[in-house]
Amino acid sequence: MPVGFIYAIVIVTIAIVAVVALAPGLTATRGGKILAFLALFIFPILAASLGYEEHMDRSKQTSFCLSCHLMEPYGRSLQVDDATWIPASHYQNNRVPREQACYTCHSDYVMYGGIKAKWRGLHHIYAQYLSNPKPPLHLYHPYNNRECLHCHAGSRSFEEGATHNADPQIMADIKSNKMSCLTSGCHDQIHNTTKLNEVKYWNPK
Amino acid sequence: MAARLRIAGLLIFLGLLIEGLTLSWNSPIAFLVFLGIGGLLIAIGIVFFLLSLVSPSIPQ
Repeated sequence: MPVGFIYAIVIVTIAIVAVVALAPGLTATRGGKILAFLALFIFPILAASLGYEEHMDRSKQTSFCLSCHLMEPYGRSLQVDDATWIPASHYQNNRVPREQACYTCHSDYVMYGGIKAKWRGLHHIYAQYLSNPKPPLHLYHPYNNRECLHCHAGSRSFEEGATHNADPQIMADIKSNKMSCLTSGCHDQIHNTTKLNEVKYWNPK
Repeated sequence: MAARLRIAGLLIFLGLLIEGLTLSWNSPIAFLVFLGIGGLLIAIGIVFFLLSLVSPSIPQ
């Protein structure tokens, strides 16, 4: 939804709210009652809903996540010029949408996963402004393979990968999250913020 | 009735004003201000309006 449209709705709502509030005598007529209902019920709900949707969309943006100072090294890790760094290779090769890179990998792909992500986001705001968190940051729960398999399950490189199929049990353990993609020694270069001074960076043309 | 409509209008006006300001402010705090202050004012304004519809008018 273009933000200009939301501004237009907000301005129109303010205008008709002002009309009703400044001339409440209008509500004595049937038309005035309808106007008051539109001004003080329908349009405010519409404007607030559109504003809420816009804010929710913005909160999924990579730039939104990286606007907190604490997240700056995590943003830098997306620019590392090394294909073994999982977030960097996903970001640079458009395996995740660049403008929603954090949200794409750090939302749980379950019912209410997005809501839980937003709830954690509110805690992050509290942590940013009212406590003093120190890097490196830790996830609330170990990273679940489900978030990887949301995209990779069914893909040829995953399903036919030699290591994934070296033993039938490996594939079963990956899919049931018994064997972590990230911490079982296979894809273990994640954000790795302590090594950011030792690596080369990608310089997009 | 008129006083309640004015109060409802004022609350909604302030809420919308805050919404407009937070839309031009791209920060996590803007999200909180929108939800915690703007949204709350709009919600209270709407409730005030609905209450004005069901409450008996004060005799003049």
